[in-house]
Amino acid sequence: MAIEATNGKKGWGDQDQVPGIKSELLELNMGPQHPATHGVLRLLLHTDGEIVYKVTPVLGYLHRCAEKIAEGVDYKQWVVYTDRFDYLAPMTCNHTYVTAVEKLGGIEVPARAEHLRIATAELSRVASHLIALATFGLDMGAWTPLLYCFREREEILNLLERISGGRMLYNYMVPGGVRYDLPRDNWVADVLEFVTMMEKKKLPDYNTLLTYNKIFIERTSDVGIITREDAFAYGCTGPVLRGSGVKWDCRRDDPYSLYHKFDFEIPVGMGEMGTVGDCWDRYIVRVREIEQSCRLIRQALEQLPEGPYQSIELKKPVRVPAGAAFTRTETAKGELGHYIVADGGQKPFRNKVRSCSMCNLQVLEKIGVGLMVSDLVATVGSLDIVLGEIDR
Amino acid sequence: MEAMYAFFMDKAGMGQAGAHVTVAAIMATLMFIVMALCALVFTWMERKVAAFLQSRWGPMRTGRWQGWAQAVADMLKILGKEDIIPAEADKALFIFAPLLVLLGSLLAWAAIPWAPGFVAADLDLGLFYIFAVSSMVIIGILMAGWASNNKWALYGAARGAAQMVSYEIPLALAAIPVVMYTGSLNTQDIVIAQQGGIWNWFIFRNPFLFVSFFLYFVASIAETNRGPFDMPETESELVAGYHTEYTGMRFAFFFLSEYANLFLVSMIAVLLFLGGWWAPIPGLDFLPAALTFVIKGVLMVFLNMWVRWTLPRVRVDQLMHLCWKVMIPAALICTVGAGLWMMASGAAG
Amino acid sequence: MVQYFADMVQAVGSALQGMGITIKHIWTRPVTLQFPEERQVMPERFRGFVHNDMAKCDACNICAKLCPVDCIYIVTEGKGKDRLMTRYAIDYNKCIWCSLCTENCHTGSITMSHDYDHSVYDRRSLVYEFMDPNVAKIPCHRQTRIEQGWWVEPKDDKDEGGKGDDA
Repeated sequence: MAIEATNGKKGWGDQDQVPGIKSELLELNMGPQHPATHGVLRLLLHTDGEIVYKVTPVLGYLHRCAEKIAEGVDYKQWVVYTDRFDYLAPMTCNHTYVTAVEKLGGIEVPARAEHLRIATAELSRVASHLIALATFGLDMGAWTPLLYCFREREEILNLLERISGGRMLYNYMVPGGVRYDLPRDNWVADVLEFVTMMEKKKLPDYNTLLTYNKIFIERTSDVGIITREDAFAYGCTGPVLRGSGVKWDCRRDDPYSLYHKFDFEIPVGMGEMGTVGDCWDRYIVRVREIEQSCRLIRQALEQLPEGPYQSIELKKPVRVPAGAAFTRTETAKGELGHYIVADGGQKPFRNKVRSCSMCNLQVLEKIGVGLMVSDLVATVGSLDIVLGEIDR
Repeated sequence: MEAMYAFFMDKAGMGQAGAHVTVAAIMATLMFIVMALCALVFTWMERKVAAFLQSRWGPMRTGRWQGWAQAVADMLKILGKEDIIPAEADKALFIFAPLLVLLGSLLAWAAIPWAPGFVAADLDLGLFYIFAVSSMVIIGILMAGWASNNKWALYGAARGAAQMVSYEIPLALAAIPVVMYTGSLNTQDIVIAQQGGIWNWFIFRNPFLFVSFFLYFVASIAETNRGPFDMPETESELVAGYHTEYTGMRFAFFFLSEYANLFLVSMIAVLLFLGGWWAPIPGLDFLPAALTFVIKGVLMVFLNMWVRWTLPRVRVDQLMHLCWKVMIPAALICTVGAGLWMMASGAAG
Repeated sequence: MVQYFADMVQAVGSALQGMGITIKHIWTRPVTLQFPEERQVMPERFRGFVHNDMAKCDACNICAKLCPVDCIYIVTEGKGKDRLMTRYAIDYNKCIWCSLCTENCHTGSITMSHDYDHSVYDRRSLVYEFMDPNVAKIPCHRQTRIEQGWWVEPKDDKDEGGKGDDA
């Protein structure tokens, strides 16, 4: 069973290894209640000692019928459900959905709204990547970076709370703009101050604590390698794809909103500590994306134009003509796609979501074979899945 | 100790055997109380140290000052918990394992020299005895993991056994240069040999001893299953490792044993390398010997906690790599080097 | 061989650097707030528990319709001009604090308050009844049209409008 994937090493799971002794693989349920599975993911492992021979992700423990609910609520009401996909970066999920509705309805978005959207979405992305670093470190047994990352995330939540009113589930973007303009206090200055602090002081701390720690490098380099071909074959997106050395980012290659106006780079994994596409590469891509997001936030807020922030008044319902539209945006976890089929009424006929975490998780079946149990935990951590988005 | 013997023999009229039994009983009770106390104190200390390293407060409510009573409250809670034995568990082993783990740590405490003459069992093979009985913990852990009939527990036990058996070797090897210098395995003799200020402590005698101290420290973290080497528990991988299925009092035994072991290895580090009960500078001589000893031990525990709450965990094969390919050769080199240094400086005995 | 020693040095060095960062935090004040004594200042847009000012409400039912999770219950009796509201309740078990109800309220009666710490022992006590039909039934047609932002100042009086005494 899958011997070739373990570099030819034969294990006890091979029945003819020891004549006369019946041996079989150990079936192990990792999850749905397990500290390393980031929510309610269940991994069915077949192991031989520490070596994993087969790994099957079992999904559906957080299924909430969000797509079906979409058929019963109108276009604006469903924004609150998109918050609950990737609950670590809800702004980016909002963004996907509202761009889909706008594309369908041909709704113009004012420039100020786009700038605010980009700033908040990138703040959300930073928050999500901070959690990714934190939980990845926690999977390695490093507790302290977790608390530090959460401390910085708290700052972001406070900032987003001031502009949107919500701490985690913002419901901030609406088709045709954003719900509220800047708050009355000096929000922009505070965001810029936070971004500077993040770049100058906090990221170097994380790099010392985790990134360039020898134990951390040993644990993550050359582990869970996703090759370029695998990444394409399984439809990986986001940091997982870029960690494999593919320079693809929706914000640059399929620009939406006003991302084409801004100057930012796309970090890719280069195999600095091992092979291209290992856990360390996926990790470092996230660290560098935090820097790039900080750049984007600064540009978006410094160039913030005056003007309206909504093209449709909040109290009016959004109406879109019959038709279908698909948009994809780069969320913190990858490319989130929204496909909306409208029949001209107040509610969509069908709403389909292309979940990036789901595709990223599937690759585990391929790369998880032959890893040790500890490495599997690290690999799941490096994929940075969020179950709210996988199961919807 | 001598005074106690004299008291029981002459004043109480007990004869020699009676006095020995009485003194042993008193010391055993005392050790157990101290051990339970230190588990309580270190539970609280661990939480506070972790909290402050992580920019949090830690427990603040129970008791008035800094949540000092949290550990007591925890212990009371844990005693009140339902005692569960899984239906498929091997009941006899399941019940016996925590006792064995606790016994292993408790026995080793007997040979710790707290102050001149104040040691529960003044053995000529003291150090050897400590290392020998503390290995019993391995059996307990293996037993617990096997008896629970839980796959995670089995993983934890298998890892723990492999790890602790391996790390016994560098742990003992790192102590050998000190034994060579002292010419004795008696724990009191080792401390007495370091009399006279910080520069006479074995850690600063020569560079090989310094490296030995470092090796001992790393091996002791692995031996107590903590810090970056907490393979048997590996919270994020094996849920809780070998004590996954344990609740209530039995879990408390594992807990107690972990902290007792932590303080034990710290105290051994102090007596081997950091001058035991001797004050670092002569001006601090007025402190009671036992207090100096305990303060040094607590500082070592703090160092242990600091490491634990900073570093990520190593993988199980890297752990073995570290032990067999790095630490054991290094410990052997240190032994030889310290011996040569002794010959060169003529400081034999 | 060189790699072997370089790895050792790097391992010890990076561990010491990391320890240097963690020890710095011992001397700084923790960032955690001691909650019941210290409280975070809520921003003005903060979306806390939904509050309905019964003095202004005219039971137009818009909030109940707009609610994505149907957590607002409005019961009326009678027809036309004589319509009377007999029940206005919000089920905070279901409420998702999305604020869709408040921004479309034409009387400005339903608002997001700044209250957020309403822990209860029984989830049934999270269904807040905003009126007692035994005391007074509220006529539904009114002329109140109050321009008000959707946010409100923190309310000191939590029992206003019969809120909070359901259990």
